[in-house]
Amino acid sequence: MIRLNLVLLLAVLVSALYLVGVQYDSRRLFSELDKAHSEATRLETERERLEVEKRGQATPARVERLAREKLQMRLASPGVTTYVSYSVPANSQDQPINARTNGPAKKASQ
Amino acid sequence: MSRSIQYTSSPLLASRTPVWRSKLVVGAVALAFFGLAARAAYIQVVANDFFQRQGEVRFARTLDLPANRGRILDRNGLILASSVPAPSIWAIPEDVEIDKDQLQRLAKLLEMPVAELAKKFADEDKTFVWVKRQVDEAVARQISALNIKGIYQRKEYKREYPEGESAVHVVGFTNVEDKGQEGVELTFNKELSGRNGSRRVIKDRMGRAVEDVGNQTPPLDGRDLQLSIDSKVQFFAYQKLRDAVVENKAKAGSVVVLDVVTGEVLALANYPSYSPAKRANLTGAQLRNRALTDTFEPGSTMKPFVIALALEKGLVKPETVIQTAPGRITIGGATISDAHPHGALTVNEVIQKSSNVGTVKMAMQMQPHEMWEMFSQVGFGQKPQVPFPGVVSGRLRASKTWRPIEQATMSYGYGLSSSLFQLARAYSVFAREGELAPVTLLKATQSAPGVRVMDANHAHQVLNMLHLVTGPGGTAPKAQTMGYSVGGKTGTAHKQEGKGYADKKYRGFFVGIAPIDNPRIVVAVMIDEPSNGKYFGGDVAAPVFSETVQQTLRMMGVQPDMAVKPQIVAAVEESF
Repeated sequence: MIRLNLVLLLAVLVSALYLVGVQYDSRRLFSELDKAHSEATRLETERERLEVEKRGQATPARVERLAREKLQMRLASPGVTTYVSYSVPANSQDQPINARTNGPAKKASQ
Repeated sequence: MSRSIQYTSSPLLASRTPVWRSKLVVGAVALAFFGLAARAAYIQVVANDFFQRQGEVRFARTLDLPANRGRILDRNGLILASSVPAPSIWAIPEDVEIDKDQLQRLAKLLEMPVAELAKKFADEDKTFVWVKRQVDEAVARQISALNIKGIYQRKEYKREYPEGESAVHVVGFTNVEDKGQEGVELTFNKELSGRNGSRRVIKDRMGRAVEDVGNQTPPLDGRDLQLSIDSKVQFFAYQKLRDAVVENKAKAGSVVVLDVVTGEVLALANYPSYSPAKRANLTGAQLRNRALTDTFEPGSTMKPFVIALALEKGLVKPETVIQTAPGRITIGGATISDAHPHGALTVNEVIQKSSNVGTVKMAMQMQPHEMWEMFSQVGFGQKPQVPFPGVVSGRLRASKTWRPIEQATMSYGYGLSSSLFQLARAYSVFAREGELAPVTLLKATQSAPGVRVMDANHAHQVLNMLHLVTGPGGTAPKAQTMGYSVGGKTGTAHKQEGKGYADKKYRGFFVGIAPIDNPRIVVAVMIDEPSNGKYFGGDVAAPVFSETVQQTLRMMGVQPDMAVKPQIVAAVEESF
């Protein structure tokens, strides 16, 4: 009887110590997880910030200024654009394919 | 012999103690035990909640989980507004320990005068002062590196507006509390804001969260908002408008670009504008989104609606000749005259040359309520259904109160008022074969059904007249643009001042449609008080229209419908 009690006491002790260990581990892991989460949030906001900054560097205003001043570019006009039309089934495209030849004829009729 | 005596034989023991004393001691001890038991029961049972709570507040913490404010995007998903972290710096003046060198470096980082900074730390009665709100994150990191005692940071967010001044009238801005103050930021504040969440955790000695307790409320991020604005079109429209306002020494100007098919607002720009990042010393003149909040008399831009009504009623055909000589007409004792006398004009030419007399002659054959119906059907006197702060409805008086002379002046746009936005939308009637386009500031995915106002044929006839305006002999040849056929109507209106009209103050407008054969956009331009010699709408506003149309259609990928002389000097021969 006494022996059984001793064994049980030992079992309880071992289990209690194990519980302490597990609890400690779980808290450590939880705080690590928490840290990882806040790191993720930080990186997410950092990404957002960088994206906005990237966008800020690529606004039409800046692109236009750099293109004009640094690269000596100018705006494309229809005069320097060749339009390539692909044939599409009739009436699915709202632009007449031979728009260029239509234009002046239409004008003359008015 | 020893002087000590044995305890057992001490004579003191011989004296008898009274029994009540021992009973008293036993009783007192019992009472003490009872007191302890009662206290324990009180703590464990009766006041358990209180003590549990007291215990908890010493290790459990509620953490706020802030929701992110939604982004505002343009139609192609480019960012117009987004939140970025911007820590605020605060201090407890009593605790601040700072030396001269640190103070100087801190002042430099915060871009504040040293004296002002020192003053903030000097007031030791206060337990909390903002040193500076919403600084850049990089700056905040350098400040924490200085490691000054008594200075802390609070995590906050601020809005960034990459497009800056060109789109600010549409997008608006938020205040330091992240609440919308103007524009779309204000109207859609609720959708953009989202809801903060919270969680409760147990923290250990080091301040690390080690366990979740109780319920968690996850934060609900604000919704992203996609506008119909195209940031490139917006920028070009703003740029051209700005150049025109500066060149003509005008007070202000606005431009509106509408997509005819979907009713989307592609661009809505005003000048003078401001930078959303530097909002100190703003005036109402800069803040207002004039295109939506300011009304004016639309002048000659109203004429096409009168002509359309005349066609609808069968009063005239486009080729009907109307005698406008001698360039004057008297109604109810008042004389209406043309800027230049023209003689006999067809209805087409009345629009082309913008003859007041010709228009008035047609208008006087109509009933006032018919004109009123036409005007209100195309949206005059009605508030446009766009969610935006301060949208105005303009003024269109009930037709019963019109006197004949008023009916006459209204036919050429005096005596009623409208915003530029209303005017642009009204012209969609001609672009959509008689249907009034619905308008939206949010991106639409499909073409929206319109409201039929007039017969498709008549709308088409008016559209042709508008095309003539930009042709040779019209009032706005400057509205022409390379490659695309355009049509539109000029307007030049005297500005009202007090009770009468200002002598030398004008507004010049141009409202137009392009391309004529298959309209895609309506562009309306208004230049307020041009004072550099030119003031006719055809001279000041039409060039802005021309350039805006050119860029907008190119960016929409619309093929030119007119022949252009190729200017390509060298073409590479490709061999396949």
